[in-house]
Amino acid sequence: MGFALAQGELQNPYKNDPGAVEVGRGVFRISCSPCHGIHAEGGRGPNLTLGGYAAGDRDVDLFNVIMNGVPYSEMRGYAGMGADNVWRIVSYLRGAAKSAAAGKLPGDAAAGEKLFWGKGACGKCHRVNTRGGRLGPDLTRSGRSRTPQYLRESVISPDADLTPGYETITVVTRDGKMIQGAQRGFDNFSAQLVDIQDNYHSFLKSEVTSIQREDKSLMPGGYERVFSKSELDDLVAYLSSLGVNR
Amino acid sequence: MKKKWLWLGVFCAIVGGAQVTDEKLKSAQGDSASWLMYGRNYSAWRYSELAQINASNVARLTPRWIYQTGAGPLQNTPLVFDGVMYATGSANRAFAIDLLTGRPIWRYAKPVPEGVQGCCGTPNRGFAAQGDRLFKMNAEAMLVALDAKSGGVLWETKVDDYKKGFSATGAPLVVGNKVIVGIAGAEFGVRAFVDAYDVTTGERLWRFYTVAGPEDPVGRKTWGGDSWKQGGGSTWVTGSYDPELNLTYWGTGNPGPDMDGDVRPGDNLYTCSMVALDVETGKLKWHYQFTPHDVHDWDATEDPVLVDIKKNGVSVKALLHANRNGFFYALDRTNGKVLAAQPYTKVTWAKGIGPDGRPILVPGQDPTEKGNESCPGLGGGHNWQPTAYSPQTGLYYFGSTDGCELFFKHKQEYVEGLRYQNSTTEHVPNKRNEGSVLAVDPTTGATKWRVPLISSPSAGMLATGGGLVFTGDGQGYVMALDARSGKLLWKFQAGGRVSGAAITYTFRGKQLLTVTAGDAIFTFALPE
Repeated sequence: MGFALAQGELQNPYKNDPGAVEVGRGVFRISCSPCHGIHAEGGRGPNLTLGGYAAGDRDVDLFNVIMNGVPYSEMRGYAGMGADNVWRIVSYLRGAAKSAAAGKLPGDAAAGEKLFWGKGACGKCHRVNTRGGRLGPDLTRSGRSRTPQYLRESVISPDADLTPGYETITVVTRDGKMIQGAQRGFDNFSAQLVDIQDNYHSFLKSEVTSIQREDKSLMPGGYERVFSKSELDDLVAYLSSLGVNR
Repeated sequence: MKKKWLWLGVFCAIVGGAQVTDEKLKSAQGDSASWLMYGRNYSAWRYSELAQINASNVARLTPRWIYQTGAGPLQNTPLVFDGVMYATGSANRAFAIDLLTGRPIWRYAKPVPEGVQGCCGTPNRGFAAQGDRLFKMNAEAMLVALDAKSGGVLWETKVDDYKKGFSATGAPLVVGNKVIVGIAGAEFGVRAFVDAYDVTTGERLWRFYTVAGPEDPVGRKTWGGDSWKQGGGSTWVTGSYDPELNLTYWGTGNPGPDMDGDVRPGDNLYTCSMVALDVETGKLKWHYQFTPHDVHDWDATEDPVLVDIKKNGVSVKALLHANRNGFFYALDRTNGKVLAAQPYTKVTWAKGIGPDGRPILVPGQDPTEKGNESCPGLGGGHNWQPTAYSPQTGLYYFGSTDGCELFFKHKQEYVEGLRYQNSTTEHVPNKRNEGSVLAVDPTTGATKWRVPLISSPSAGMLATGGGLVFTGDGQGYVMALDARSGKLLWKFQAGGRVSGAAITYTFRGKQLLTVTAGDAIFTFALPE
C-alpha cells in the first residue's frame, strides 16, 4: 500500500493516548479477536502480548503488518479500517504486551528440546521446522502463537482447547473395519483423515457404516506422569522458545 | 444473403427491446421463463411452478456452463429475462451473461472508494429491473441505474455518505415508478432508513427513518438521551410488497452500538422490527418489534414473506419471518399482530412470546465485559440467506445455525465513521455450533422436518413445483432435497461456499437451474 515507503519512520499519532488504547481494544475485539483471541493472547493467529513480533518490533512494523497483511498467510491487510484505527490497535497492543509481560520461564529450553525428541517422543506426531511427524499441529512457531500457560495445559490436557482441524475421526467400514485418525477434511458428505501410521484416507459417508467426529485429540493424556515437574518446565520453555526472536 | 442479415437485425431488436413492465413485475410468479426480482415475486416466495426437474430425475442434473466472475464471494440472486442473465458481484461489479453459452455480454465495474467500511466486506445481493433499466446499490451507498442492453450508466444517486459509515449490499425493489432501497451501517452508528427514488431520474421521493427521531415523538421516547442519533437499524435485505394493501415490508437491523445497550435505554424503535410502509408516501402503517432493546445483534432483516394462511378456518393475510433471535413469526400483515411465534432452534434469552407480542425475557442473558453465553449466537438462528415458501407443500424453508456464543461488551465513545459495535462474540470453548435446513408449517410455527448440517447453513432456498428444495452448504455442495421430507436427492461439489439462493427458469423450453458458489455462476440442466 506504500505506507512503508513514506519518508522517514512513521510515528504513532496515538502513542500513550489512553482514549486511543480503549478504542483500539474495541476495534481489536471486532476485527482481530477471531484469530488472535479476545485478549490478544493468540488462537489461530499468534499471541500478540509477548512484546516480540515476526515482522519487527517497532510501532511502524506492527502498523505495516496490519495495513498490508502477511503474504502467504491467513493474515490479510486491514487498510480498509483506516490508518487511524490501525494506529489505535497498535497502541492497544503495546499496552497489552506491557501488562502481559511475564518473568523468565523456570525451565531450560535446551533440556526441553532433548525431552521433546527423546523421552516424550513428541516429534513422532509434531513437526518443528522440517523435522517430525504431521499427525498433530506444527509447533515451529508455538512460542509465538501460544502463551507458556497454554502450552503447559496443552501438554497435560490435550483436549482442553483442541486446535481446529485436528479433531478425531473414527470410521467403521461396511466390512466392520475401524479406522481412526486426525481430521484432514470433514463435510456433510465425506471425511478425510491421517491415521497414526501416517496413512491418508478419504471416505464418502454413503459408503461406510459410520463416520464419527469427536472434539478430542489423538494425543494421549498423562504427560504429567511421564515428565517430572522440572522436566515439564523444560519442555514448556522449549516450546515457548520456538519461533521467538528474543 | 442480404435478407439473412435483415432477419438477424430484427431478432436483435426483439432481444434488445424487451421491457420489464409493471404488469410483468406484478405477474412475475406466472412467468416461468424469467426471474424478474430478488424474491421472484413481490411476496418473496422464491417458488417456481416448473417441474421438468423433479424428484424422479434431479439426480441427473449436469452443469451446462460455468461463468467465473472473479468478483466473489457471490451472494446475489441473478435476474433472468429475454435470454439474458444479470448478476452482481462483490466490490461494485456486475455482469450480463448470454444464457445460451454462459459468455459475457457486458461487464460493469466501478472502484470502491477508499474508506468504504461495511461490517463484512462489500458483497452485493443483486439487481432490480424496470423497463430497460437495471438498478443496483454500490458499496459506497450509491444507487446506480444501468442500461440493460449495454451496461452503460444512466444515472447515479448518492443515497448517503460512506464517510459517516453508510454502505450498501442489498438488492433494490421496484414498485411502479419507485425504486425502493435499504442501507447498511449499524455497526458504525448510522441512523438508517428505507428510501424510494424515481426510476427515471434517480430523484429521492421519500425517506423513512428506521430510528425514530424528533419528527416521531412517540418513537423518540424509546431512545434515552440523544442515542437515537447513532441508532443503527440497517435495512440491508430486500423487502416485499403487497399490491392490494399498497404496503412494502422491510425488516430492520440492530440498534447501535450493538452490544452496549446501557447508552441507549428504551425499546429503541424501530430497530429489530418489521415495518409496513405506504408505498406512495413512505409513512409507517404499522410496526412490530421482535427484539426490543436488542443487545445481541439480532437484526430483523430476514426475508418478509407474504402468504395467506388459514387461521381457525379463515384466510388471513400473513407475513412469515424467521428471525435471527431464534423465533419464527407469522404476523397479520394488515396490522402487525402476532399470529404464531415459535422457536425453531435453541433459545435461552426468552421463554416465549407473550399475548402482548413482547418476548418473555430470561434474566442474565446480556453481554458482559468477561463474556456471557447466550443462544442463539450473534448470527442467529437464521440470518439473511433467502428463504422459500412452497404453495405446493404449504411449508416455509430456511436455514438455521444451531448453538450459542459468548457475548462481550465494552464501553466506547462514538466517533463519526468509526466502528461503534462495542464488542463482539466468541465461540463457547469446546462447543461446536452446527446447522440445519428446516421446513416449518407457517400456520403454527411447528418444524415439519430438519436436515442437520455440520456447520452454519450458508445458502438460501429455492422451492419448485417439481417437489424440490434447492440449497447449498459452506463446504461447496449444492443440494436438492425432497420438499416434503427433506431427503437428499442430488448434490454437486461446486468448489466454493454456496451463499446466495438458486433460481430456476426456462430457456428454449428447457428448465435451467442457476446457483452461485464461490466466485462462479453455475447453470445446470438435465442431459439432452
